[in-house]
Order: sequence, then C-alpha cells, then structure tokens
Amino acid sequence: MELRRKASSFILPSFVGLIYLFLYAPIIVFIIFSFNKNPYSLKWHGFTFSWYRDLFASSEVAEALTNSLIVAFSAVFLSVTMAVFYVFYGLGSFLNRLTILFYGSLIAPEIVLATCLLSVFSFLNMPLGIPSLIAGHTLLGLAYVVPIIKSSYEEIDNRLIEASMDLGATESQTFYKIIVPILLPAIMSGALLIMIISLDDFFISFFCSGPETLTLPMYIFSQVRTGATPIVNAISTLLMVVSSLLILLLTSFKIKTRFF
Amino acid sequence: MAKRECGVVREMSDNKFKSSVLGASENKSFAMALPAVLWQGIFLYVPVVFIIGISFLKGLDGSVFKNITLGNYDTLMNSSYFITIYRSVVLAFSTALMCLILAYPTAYFLAIKVKKYKNLLFFLLILPFWINFLVKAYSWFFILDHNGFVNSFLIKIGLISTPFHILNTPIAVYIVMVFCYLPFMILPLYNSMAKIDKFLLEASSDLGATAGQTLWHITIPLSMAGITSGFFLVLIPSFGEFVIPTLLGGGKTMYVGSMISYFFLETKNVFLGSAFTCLSGLALIFVALSIYFVFNKIGKKNMGVK
Amino acid sequence: MREIKIKNVKKTFNGEVILDNVNLTIPNGAFFALLGPSGSGKTTLLRLIAGFETVDSGSIFFGDKDITYLPIHKRRVNTVFQNYALFPHFNVFDNVAYSLKIKKVPKDIIEQKVVSVLKKVHLEKHIYKSISQLSGGQQQRVALARAIINEPDVLLLDEPLAALDLKLREEMLVELIDLQSSLKTTFVYVTHDQFEALTVADRMAIMNGDGEIEQVGTPKEIYEFPGSSFVAKFVGSTNIFKGVLKIEGDKSYFEVGDLGKFEINLPKNKGWESGRNILMSIRPEKFEICKTELQGFSNCLEGNVASIVYHGRSTQYNVRLNNGFRVSVFEQNEEHFPQEVIDYEDKVYIYWQKENVVLLEK
Repeated sequence: MELRRKASSFILPSFVGLIYLFLYAPIIVFIIFSFNKNPYSLKWHGFTFSWYRDLFASSEVAEALTNSLIVAFSAVFLSVTMAVFYVFYGLGSFLNRLTILFYGSLIAPEIVLATCLLSVFSFLNMPLGIPSLIAGHTLLGLAYVVPIIKSSYEEIDNRLIEASMDLGATESQTFYKIIVPILLPAIMSGALLIMIISLDDFFISFFCSGPETLTLPMYIFSQVRTGATPIVNAISTLLMVVSSLLILLLTSFKIKTRFF
Repeated sequence: MAKRECGVVREMSDNKFKSSVLGASENKSFAMALPAVLWQGIFLYVPVVFIIGISFLKGLDGSVFKNITLGNYDTLMNSSYFITIYRSVVLAFSTALMCLILAYPTAYFLAIKVKKYKNLLFFLLILPFWINFLVKAYSWFFILDHNGFVNSFLIKIGLISTPFHILNTPIAVYIVMVFCYLPFMILPLYNSMAKIDKFLLEASSDLGATAGQTLWHITIPLSMAGITSGFFLVLIPSFGEFVIPTLLGGGKTMYVGSMISYFFLETKNVFLGSAFTCLSGLALIFVALSIYFVFNKIGKKNMGVK
Repeated sequence: MREIKIKNVKKTFNGEVILDNVNLTIPNGAFFALLGPSGSGKTTLLRLIAGFETVDSGSIFFGDKDITYLPIHKRRVNTVFQNYALFPHFNVFDNVAYSLKIKKVPKDIIEQKVVSVLKKVHLEKHIYKSISQLSGGQQQRVALARAIINEPDVLLLDEPLAALDLKLREEMLVELIDLQSSLKTTFVYVTHDQFEALTVADRMAIMNGDGEIEQVGTPKEIYEFPGSSFVAKFVGSTNIFKGVLKIEGDKSYFEVGDLGKFEINLPKNKGWESGRNILMSIRPEKFEICKTELQGFSNCLEGNVASIVYHGRSTQYNVRLNNGFRVSVFEQNEEHFPQEVIDYEDKVYIYWQKENVVLLEK
C-alpha cells in the first residue's frame, strides 16, 4: 500500500521533469555548440571562443545590433508614452472603452499584422526601413503595455488620492508624489516587455524592413538559411542571455504589478 | 477640480476624480488619449478593411481596376489553395492539442502539487517563452540532424546502425512547433489553476472522491477558462506559422503563411494575396468558433448533476 | 464503540513543533470542543483526524481501527471548512449531492436525501440557487448539509462561525446543538472563542500555545475547576494571586506578602506542604463588592475603585488594592435603582468565600 502510493507519487514529477528537459535541452546544446571548434559540423570538436571574437569583429553584426537597439528603444518610447497618455487622459471617457481594440494585435496571427503594416506602408508610399520597423514594433508594443498600465492605474485606491489632498497636497504634488511612484513598476514592466519583444521579433521585421535594413533576428535567420557557422550560436546565446537578464528584471517588478 | 463637499466628493470618487487630478479639461483629455487609438486604427484596423476591400478588386502588376469583382476568389477556388489552408488548420489544431496534453499535467503539478520553490520553477518555465523562436527552432537542428544528438546517442547505445531521418519530416515540424508554443499553453493553464481554492480539492477528497474523481469533477471544470484561452493562444498564431514548417519540414510544402508571403513579397499580387488572406481568415474564424462552441458544451456538461 | 483515540501524536511543520505528544480520547456521540489560542495546533489536530495531514509519529484510532494512514476519501469523517469551500461551479443541490454522486447513488435517492438534509438546515427554499446568491449564513448551512448527508461517524467543524456576525453566530450555535443531538454524530468543534466552546460542548479540551493539551473535561469542570492558570485565564477571566501555602493545625492559609493571610480549603490528594509557592485564582463574579463592611465572609480585601466599565447586564469594577495590585470584580446589575452606588475612587471592600477559589500549581 505504501509502496503503491510512493510509486504513483513519482510519475507526475518525472513527467514534469521530462517536460523541463524537453524545454531546455536543445537550448543548452545550442549554447554549448557556440563554443564548438569546427564550424561546419554538428559534431563536437573542441572548445573555443573564436566565434565570439568573430562576432565582435563583424560589422554586419554591429549594424544589425545597432538597428535592433534603435528600433527597440524608439518602440519602447513611443508605446509607453502613448499608452500612458491613453490611460491617464482617457480614464472614464468613451475612449477607454475602446481598450478592447488593443487586444486585436494579440489575437491576430502575426502574418496578418505584417500584411496590414505592409499595405499601409505601400499606401503611404513610405520606404521600408527603420521607421517602418519602429511603426510595426510600436503597434505590437501597445497591445502589451496598455492593459498593464491601465489595470495598474485603475487599481490605485482612490482614497490614497483623497488622503493626499486631505493632508494638503496640491493636485500636481499628488500626481508626482503619489500616483507616479505607484505606477512606476507597471511602466517599467511594460517598457522591459516591449524591449524584449522588439529585440526578439522576426516576423514583422522580415516583412517590414525592406531590402537594406537588417535587425539581429533577421541576421540570424539569413545565417541559418545559408548554412551557418557557430557565429549564429554565439550571437543567439548572447541574445538569450540579454533576454534572460531582462526577464529577471521584469519578474522582480512582477511583485509590484499584476501582469502575470 | 476636486470638490471638497462631502456628498460631491463621494460622487467624484470614481475614475473621473483620478483624471481630474491632472487638471485636465475635457477637450485636452480627449486629444492626449487619442494617439494610441489612432495608431491602433491606422496600422491595424484600417488595413484590415483595406485588405478586405482590395480582395474584390482585380488588376495586373499592382495596378488598380475600378471594377468590383469576385474574380480573385474565383481563382482561389482551386484545390491547391484549399489544401494549403487545410494543412495550416491541421497543423494549428494538432499543435494546440499536443500542447494541451503536455501542458495540463505540468501546470497542475506546478500550481497545485508544488509547495516549495514554486516561484523558481515557474520562472524557469516561462524563461523559454522569451527566447527568440528562430533560435529555438534552429537549436533543434543540433539534436535532430544526422550527426546530431539523438542519432549519435541512438547509434552509441546500439539501437540503430544508420542515422534516422528526422529532420525534414512532419515529426520534426511537430516537435519544434510544440516546443515553441508549449509555454503559451502552460501560462494561462497555470494562472487558472493557481486560482483554484485548495480547500475545494480537500473538500472533494473529504466527501469521498478519489484523486481521479476530484480531477474530473472539480479541477478540470474550474480550469476550463485556462484551457480555452491556452488552446486559442496556441491555435491562432500557429495557424499563420510557416517559418518552422519550412525550416524543419523541407521547405517544399506550402502553408497559409508561406502562401501569403509568396503573394505579397514575391509575386506582389496584392489583390490575390488579399483575397487569399481573407479566405484564410474566414477559415480560421470558422474553425475557432467551432472549437469554442465545443469547449462551451463541455464546460456546461461538467457543471453538476442537473 | 466508535470513540476517537489520539495516541502520542507528534507533528512538526518546517522544523516547528505544532503538536507535541498529544493524547486525547473523544467519546462517541459527543459534541466535543477543541479550544485554544491561535496557533495552538487545534486546527492541525482536526486536519490529522480528517486525513489532510499525516502524523510524524503516533496513531489515530476510530474505535479499534487504526486509521492513521488511511487516505482521506476512505475515512468516515466529513469536514465543515472555515471558508466553507463550496464548489463555485455547482449550485446548492449539486454541492450537497456531490458525495452521493461520487458513490454513484441512484438519482432519485440522491434527490430524496438532498431535500431531506436541506430541510434540516432550513434551506429547502434555496435548492437550485447558485452559491454566489447566498448570504454567509446560508453558505455555512450548505457546507453543513453537504457534510452531514453522508451520515459520517464524525463531523469536524473548523471555526465554522468565524465569518458570521454576532447575532447569526448565536443563532447558529443553538442550531448546531439541536442538530448534533438529533443526529447523534460525534461533532469535533475547533474554536478560539471560549464562549462558543462553553455553549456547545458536552466535553472540551483546552490546548495551549505549545501544542499540548492542558485540560479535558465538561465546560463546567473546566470553568469552575481549571487545572492551571493558563486555563483559568483563557476560559473566562480571572484574578491570579501568587503566594505561599501555610498550614497551621487543621486550618490552611494562603499568604500574600503585602496583602495578608487568607483562609482556604486545602485541596486533598495533592500532597502539598506548608511553605509551598502556589497560585490562587478567583473569578471576578465570585467577589462581593461593597462600600460598607459586611459579615459572614471568610476573606476580605480593601481598595479603591480605579475604573468602572458598564456592560449592560453587569458592571465591571477594577479595584486598586493597598499594594497596587488590581483586581477585577463583576457585579450583576440586578436593580434599576441600586441601593448603593459605587463611584470612582470610592473606598470599597471585596469579600469572598473560601470555597469559591481555585488553588493552582502553575
């Protein structure tokens, strides 16, 4: 009886363990191979940092990285600003009831988003490049940031504002001393989120960047297509590390917001 | 401006009060809140209408004819297009189903069984969610290739003598699809299960239900919201997925995504492309609604004796 | 004989000892209360009986059957949870019918039993309502109905009235007593409220903050003859004096340094000797307070009234004695216009009979 209980309580944890293995094994292997001596084989040949060195020397990588960063920061700035204004100034008005519109970007398959963006750009006769990328990533970003900031803002207990004014603060003092600090974790979470999404995005970039612009994920894709050297592993590993650090930061804000 | 009289402050004790703190006037409010909505409209909703509209126009080499016609849809009434759409539907549905089967026990374990280290395990679970999906897909090359891990391992332990062909097969495609989309399913499942009051599960045992009965009567119905949202969170994006099938399946078969990309980026036939997009969209909506309907039915059936 | 026997049970959580070598016998068919402060382990003990937790060491018997490691769903025990734990996706009927449905009882019998048990808890008009439509008191009754429909040998109640307001609580207490005597099931009732425990229990056990059982007995035994100052202070309120036992011939005295000697009845069978340090517990209602001197009482103290608290039915006086010590006295407000009005700072005399005190070792 005891034995059977022990056996059945073993199955579920083992299964979950296998799932974790499934999720992580390829990635770990991938990272390991970024140190592989032989470039064109999938067999292990020995340890080396050479790919990382090539990475830092490559001008292509530098360009891709720069583009990615420019797009990411711009998208963050635009999304967060528009979202904050939307939430602050729209609260209570009919515009706020349109919040459901923002979920459209989340529901539609990315291919649809990409196609829509493409058609807008061609209609406006806008050349494809960094601006179009920024526009696209901002669209993505809004869908994530608006709900986060909105729910955080709505959760601020009205009585805090009443208490602040009761104790003698003016409206603008209340805004800067009470509302903004409480909202800061949500804003930071939103910003980090868009940062990660923008850096990792491939689809929209693929469709909307035009022939000349290259972002990091696109660079990776082209390398994969044309038979990559482990330099791809190297750059991907670094990208993963950066994303993970950002996620760590994000989850430290998780305690202060209710995103998850 | 905030009013201090008792009765009126109570009335103002809603969201308008919060906004009024910024000293915003009605008009100014509207203007400041508008950009986000406009952005969303211009870059998403207007194009959708645009695309639907265009699908009814016909032209050669990108020029616009002023005739409204169903000609594009006519062209699409071809089995090869239908097969493409069907292929994507099957891919999406199977991926979602497999993700559900694998994710449910995992989320259950994490949300209900684990007492210590819950946060750490959860963090480890969502981390892969954020890794560039291209990287994730590519990393499977190292495992599934002729000289990759799986084959080397199987040869080493003597199970097979020549390497297996795993890459460029449907198996590889499904493995990687599930690999990429699993976290999408686990997250909502975990969230809905974490909300289940632990005392409900204890009460169920207390009233005589075995573990299996508790799962069927209590846990599953109460996690139905998570199951539904998780399923759609996987179904819809994987419908439009074509990078993974192309990279790992050999690149010879067409999916909805690759077809659309072909129309818009290669042939630049905007009209046919839009029509095809609309057609695929309709197919997706139809499939999604049917599945939603089924989920609803299951949910209702589980609600008690009567 | 299906009494519950708890033998040498020990339970720790995260290194902290919650229950330390607990021994207890709960008689069959009794309304048994487990009373103790928060964190005393009473809920843990209840959960061990239900099966939600397992003992670290020791055993639990139902009659002569060892159920220590029996799984939850096999025990003939049902629980009424503190937060009710009603299934939100079922209505009242389905919640109550759940245990029967699990056992695959035929539908018509289920219906019969559900209606009958809902009548017992006065909810027959709400059979098909959803849980969210019910008030707290109603939800509590559903939880009760759900638990008793099984006709379990034992019903466990974990502070079931905690979320209800005072009037409702008093009503429910009476209903619970009636229910128990009609069902004749053993009820084990956990609470930190001594009023509740004294009201419902046939027998009760007091647990202290270290996971030990201080005393077991009927409510009257526990109230009138507490075994330790902990019990005396936890159940009801009391005044505790520290002093020395003095035996002079056939008379015994309790001597408090700066207050004097007081006549007591020496408890038999304790083997106490003269010179021993002991405690004296006097309940506030056992005192008689008066501005003038009275005859006929064995003992007396003098002091000044420091505070007066009016409780409607009674008045509580805090009297400051000559040595600075404070004593609380309850007087029933028996008359609209009392002959004697006691006011702040009045000099008063406090009297009591030697039979009305309890002498304690700790």
